[in-house]
Amino acid sequence: MSRGTLIYAAQRLVLISVTAVVVSSLVFIGIHQLPGNALASERRLNPATEQALLHHYNLDLPWPQQYVLWIQGLLHGNLGESLVNMGTQITPLLLRETTVSVTLGLAAVCVTVFVGMTLGTIAAIRQNTWVDYAASTAAVVGYSVPSFVWAFLLILLTVAPFYNWTGGTFYEDIGWGKPEQIPVPALALGLPYAAIVARLTRASMLEVIRQDYVRTAWAKGLKARIVILRHALRNALIPVISILGPLITGIITGSVVIETLFGIPGLGKEFVTSILDRDYNIVIGVFTFYAALVGLANLAVDLIYPVLDPRIRY
Amino acid sequence: MAALPQSLESSQEQLLEQDIADHVTLGQDAWRRLRRNRLAVIGLVIISVFIVSALISFVWTPYPTWRQALGPTYQGPTLAHPLGLDDYGRDILSRVMGGAAIALSVGVGASAIASFIGILLGLLAGFYRGKVDLVISTLINVSYGIPDLLIALVLVLLIGRGVGNIILAIAVTAWLGMARLVRGQTLSIREKEFVEAARTIGTPNAMILLRHILPNALGPIVVQATYLVPAAIIFEAFLSLLGMGIPPPAPSWGRMASEGYKALELAPHIVLMPCAALSLTVLAFNWVGDGLRDAIDPRMKR
Repeated sequence: MSRGTLIYAAQRLVLISVTAVVVSSLVFIGIHQLPGNALASERRLNPATEQALLHHYNLDLPWPQQYVLWIQGLLHGNLGESLVNMGTQITPLLLRETTVSVTLGLAAVCVTVFVGMTLGTIAAIRQNTWVDYAASTAAVVGYSVPSFVWAFLLILLTVAPFYNWTGGTFYEDIGWGKPEQIPVPALALGLPYAAIVARLTRASMLEVIRQDYVRTAWAKGLKARIVILRHALRNALIPVISILGPLITGIITGSVVIETLFGIPGLGKEFVTSILDRDYNIVIGVFTFYAALVGLANLAVDLIYPVLDPRIRY
Repeated sequence: MAALPQSLESSQEQLLEQDIADHVTLGQDAWRRLRRNRLAVIGLVIISVFIVSALISFVWTPYPTWRQALGPTYQGPTLAHPLGLDDYGRDILSRVMGGAAIALSVGVGASAIASFIGILLGLLAGFYRGKVDLVISTLINVSYGIPDLLIALVLVLLIGRGVGNIILAIAVTAWLGMARLVRGQTLSIREKEFVEAARTIGTPNAMILLRHILPNALGPIVVQATYLVPAAIIFEAFLSLLGMGIPPPAPSWGRMASEGYKALELAPHIVLMPCAALSLTVLAFNWVGDGLRDAIDPRMKR
């Protein structure tokens, strides 16, 4: 990595931190405009306990003062304490859940890129044949079927049949913690976006395949595999990489739903649970983490460019 | 030799006739191309079917969408209940019809509001540039950094879960793409000669924006607005699946799927019927969107 790249990455990291702070501040202020307080719920507390609890969470202070305290905590990496499970520190909790979400997200990105590129490349090589039409139709259909529908279909198609075929020895219960539980949610999450990647790869491959240097490669008598994979695909990938940023944001959105459906203990499930429980401290914390994650993912994508195309430098 | 000029002349006449016949407005021209696109036509038919069943559901459904215990719970498709019964013994066909009304109103409503916000902000940013553009573009770029589902969930938490509120929450997260598109279009159109001419004769800015710039950007706007409808429908299903959608007993497709999920292996039809309706609607809108894109600007054709 050159010095320029490092400086660029450092600048971006600063920008990402600023965005994360701004975004979570907006959410903090928005939530503190809600009437009542976070502890007001069905269960009645006696006034002294309630006062003590409010004091414990600094909720008895006016919100600008709470905000200053919260920002101070944030700058020290401390996102506070859960409102529902008293004593649970949010930062370590979310860090643990982030590793789960990132694992699932990376698996989904692999599905997206691999399936999408393969389909797109095959469609481009066999342009205007039935293979091409089938792949293009599959792409629109794949994109129109939302991730949770893929999830239902995949569960129906894999879980019970596997159980029956193996005579009950292989039962993949949905959940998290075992490696064999990763593929189904990752496929559900990745397939709708694979369709977009396939479309883009096809369009960009069609352009590259007609270039002079590809004809030269054929003329030299190189093997088809080398021409397609090393000469054509590598250049065709550059426009495809540019869509990876928005795509990762989409996968993160989808992961909120998929994690909830599959009971995967990641950030998305935590977000939904905390919203339903009105655990505002965790809601704000998850926002901070997501803003940082999206920023980092986009940075990672931008750092792939110079690897693929040495002409691009920062 | 004598035949040649004659045939030339006749072919010229033919050309002239064709020219006159071809004298159609931009919209008619696009419509003609759209009609020739098989997938787009199929999409339009599917959408019409759903619109009609949604309209019918307002006055009549085979059974009331909320009536429980119509037969054995989890019963698969039968003659009396073509799509089967759900876990409370409600008729799924009736609920899918009611769900179509919800999905379409959320989709079209959110798309309309998001388009309005996006067009307005995009026009302002692209036309006035400078500080206005800076503020709007910053807003767009910061919002792109947050997954929209999270914003929508917090908004629903803040403003409540009625149909109108859900539409609003979706629209507030969906206008970004439209604003970006319109801003780009405006930036390029505002430099065209006819805009300069309009400005020279003292046309007020509002008039330039509405009469000269907006109509010229309408093609891509219509395409984008079409794509926004299925996106909003999926979004509503997401919210319902997470328990933050339109409250029961309204038969939203996402809610039906999430309620049936616990019995997925036992009675897959409860989940599959609303999911099929949802996917089919989204697919139809995407086909129409693709068709419109190719019809309005054939150069964009992939």
